[in-house]
Amino acid sequence: MSEKSVAVVDTNVLLNLALPVVDSRPKAPSGADPLKALLAAYDVHVPESVLGELTDATGSDDLLSAAADLVFQAAHNLTTHDVDNQLDDPLEYSLDRGESECIWLANELGANFFLTDEFNSTNYLFINLALEDRNILFTTPHILCTLATQEILPVEYVSAVLTYYVKTKGWDAQYVAQLRQHHLSE
Amino acid sequence: MAEEKTRVDFNAPRSLVERADSVVEILDISRTRLLIDALEDELEELATDEEFRRRLSDAYYDGRIGYDTVEAVLGREEALRMKLLRESIDRTPPEPHLEDGLPSDDAFYDGDIPEWTDAPPSESSDDGSHA
Repeated sequence: MSEKSVAVVDTNVLLNLALPVVDSRPKAPSGADPLKALLAAYDVHVPESVLGELTDATGSDDLLSAAADLVFQAAHNLTTHDVDNQLDDPLEYSLDRGESECIWLANELGANFFLTDEFNSTNYLFINLALEDRNILFTTPHILCTLATQEILPVEYVSAVLTYYVKTKGWDAQYVAQLRQHHLSE
Repeated sequence: MAEEKTRVDFNAPRSLVERADSVVEILDISRTRLLIDALEDELEELATDEEFRRRLSDAYYDGRIGYDTVEAVLGREEALRMKLLRESIDRTPPEPHLEDGLPSDDAFYDGDIPEWTDAPPSESSDDGSHA
């Protein structure tokens, strides 16, 4: 239906992209919308279980709950797949069910890329191992840099939002600094 | 299994050596044993020290130290994670594609964008009169 690249993303990616949009504290950057940018610029697919994980995040007054509400409001831009019966157990490696379903879906669809925020932990290793083609694995900060270099998000916004994530989510600061240096400094 | 040993000579302040020798005598161990223990403790502590890890990963990402060094200091899993991440930095993700620019919020979202703030509403908390 479109020439958009097919992406499979996990729940945390969607929640993290929604965070700065709903966060109206001064430390959150404003003026752009990384969730909208990702979902509009790529053909994004998720297992149905992602919606369940989002539901689990809603229902309180905290920031995460507001972020989950926003993702639900954009859910018609996602293509969901029922992958319930596809997974053999025990699950591969030490990944949880949601992550395993995402990886299965990425392999099944032959997705152009798989997006994760699990790069701070050894889960990153396991995702590499479980993907049929680990060259399709990218991280949210990497894609944000691409959205900036392709002029879909302002470079200043992406730079500010990377700082926001390093501070609020504890993202690997050295890795993010390398991404900035490679992709954002012209 | 005894590991091969290498001899190290170094100069240290006399007073420090004297203090070490006093401790060695009390503990009834060799001066060498004390130095090895102290060095092992220091290396172990550094491996979990945030500032040291920051400098180590800077050095690795900049190419000043190799994979083997990271593995020796941080262990295999952490070293592999950093290796895979470093390799991925140069990869180019598929290009994003927009036909007519980004859609408006109205077209994209079902409803208004929630706004979250951690500050309580300013007038409600002071006088206790909120219903």
